[in-house]
Amino acid sequence: MRRSSIDQRTDHHPLPESPATLAPALRVSGFTKTYADGFTAVRDLALEVPAGSFFGLLGPNGAGKTTLIGAITNLVRPTAGRIEVFGHEHETRHARRLVGLAEQEINLDRFLDVEEVLVYHAGYFGISRRNAKARAKELMDVFDLSAKAHVRPPALSGGMRRRLLFARALMHRPRLLILDEPTAGVDVELRSELWEYTRRLHREGTTILLTTHYLEEAEALCEDLALIRGGRIVARDSAAGLRARYGARDIAEVYAKAMSAAAADGIAATGADAQAAAAMTPAEEVAR
Amino acid sequence: MSAAAEPYVEERPGVVWLCEREIVRFLKLWVQTIVAPCVSSLLFIVVFGMALGDSIASVGGVPYDQFIVPGLVVQAVLTAAFSNNSSTVFQARSDRFINDVLSSPLRWWEVNLGLAIGGVVRGLITGVLLTAAAIAMTGIGVERPLVLVVAGALVLVAFAQFGVIAGIYARSWDFMAFVTTLVILPLSFLGGVFYSVDRLPDAWEVVSHVNPIFYLVQAFRYGFSGQADVPVGISLAVIAALALVLSAWCAWLFRTGHRLKP
Repeated sequence: MRRSSIDQRTDHHPLPESPATLAPALRVSGFTKTYADGFTAVRDLALEVPAGSFFGLLGPNGAGKTTLIGAITNLVRPTAGRIEVFGHEHETRHARRLVGLAEQEINLDRFLDVEEVLVYHAGYFGISRRNAKARAKELMDVFDLSAKAHVRPPALSGGMRRRLLFARALMHRPRLLILDEPTAGVDVELRSELWEYTRRLHREGTTILLTTHYLEEAEALCEDLALIRGGRIVARDSAAGLRARYGARDIAEVYAKAMSAAAADGIAATGADAQAAAAMTPAEEVAR
Repeated sequence: MSAAAEPYVEERPGVVWLCEREIVRFLKLWVQTIVAPCVSSLLFIVVFGMALGDSIASVGGVPYDQFIVPGLVVQAVLTAAFSNNSSTVFQARSDRFINDVLSSPLRWWEVNLGLAIGGVVRGLITGVLLTAAAIAMTGIGVERPLVLVVAGALVLVAFAQFGVIAGIYARSWDFMAFVTTLVILPLSFLGGVFYSVDRLPDAWEVVSHVNPIFYLVQAFRYGFSGQADVPVGISLAVIAALALVLSAWCAWLFRTGHRLKP
């Protein structure tokens, strides 16, 4: 990734008005998701993410993170509750154009090349061809993908695919960027570059919602952290606040104590995320 | 006004982009998606029509090589529309890049239209190329062009939507192979592509009349030669009903998110 390109960029977002004058980037109330087989992955969840914040959602596999993210991005149908994005109902076109999603799984269109993946994504968000191509060129440059512009995703390395996934999520200049385990399986160098770029987006006014298993990085990056287990938020505060509350040295210790306490309260880690993924994907995955 | 409060305005409609993507997809694979089915159907004309046709009496006064053309054209068109859309939708679900479309501001009907259009255009190209080649090879004419256009449009809509539905319900590639090989192909062959149902025993003639593809073949045959085994109005009504039912089913799937969104 070319740091010089990132540093020279001035056109991403104007700095937003004072967050106090804005609706929250995300407001979730009474969100419940019960799947077709009767399994309730998330029950009556409430969450508010202020505009302009860097928010971390931490929890074990199956805690309900992907179900929640799926509901925010209209990939999962809520059973009950309300979800608003910057004050817009999440199902509206207004809300959808404000959200960018980089999913945990690499889900790139195998029939398109790198440039086309970016351009068509922008197109689905109503961007003109000229602007989409200009934006694609800019992001390919930033993410060192220019040399691979006409290569299809299956021929890219894992790191390149992850960069492309990240770039795709940014093509339409989202105000709320959701990163679901963005650095899973990524080497240290690329991870560092992605975090650096994410920090820059945040400084420029983008609200970030991040899920990650790298607790030390979440602690360093996020202003606000929520711990989720069994589809419920079991703790939420700044990293310092959580450390003080749990009498812990670092967020890893907070995490361990909070999860133990939640387990003692009978909040089981569930298979919610696996449920969401299984329900969205055909049983047999064939590369053809 | 903050950027988040600005109204959503499309510089270029997202649905146009999705339509373009679906067309680009099959054009990148043009040998497989266009050339192969045309060659396959033309081989039927060469072998059954031109090579063996001399030993078969004309059917209703129509030379045999011309008689089989409408059925082969409709079979190629509906297979192209179905297989294109079933595979594009299933692949997108399997690899989960359909999420890129489902989470965008595209409306449900725009997603339906965008995903269906590839099959319509592929079927249309296949049909036009095959018809042109068949005219050149057999000398068949088009007696009722308007009927052919209307029937062609209805067949494209019906089987483009059928393909999308199959892609949404499929759990494996085997399912699509099953539908193509064990449903569409037998129904096409039993739908009067190669023969007139007048020649069948009474029981089989009745069976032919419950086969929807029979009516597609009849409508195309009427469009080409001006004659068919059933009145053209009935054939068009059956195709229109089929297109309507499949379109309504597809619309329901996209509007509710059934099987697309858990």
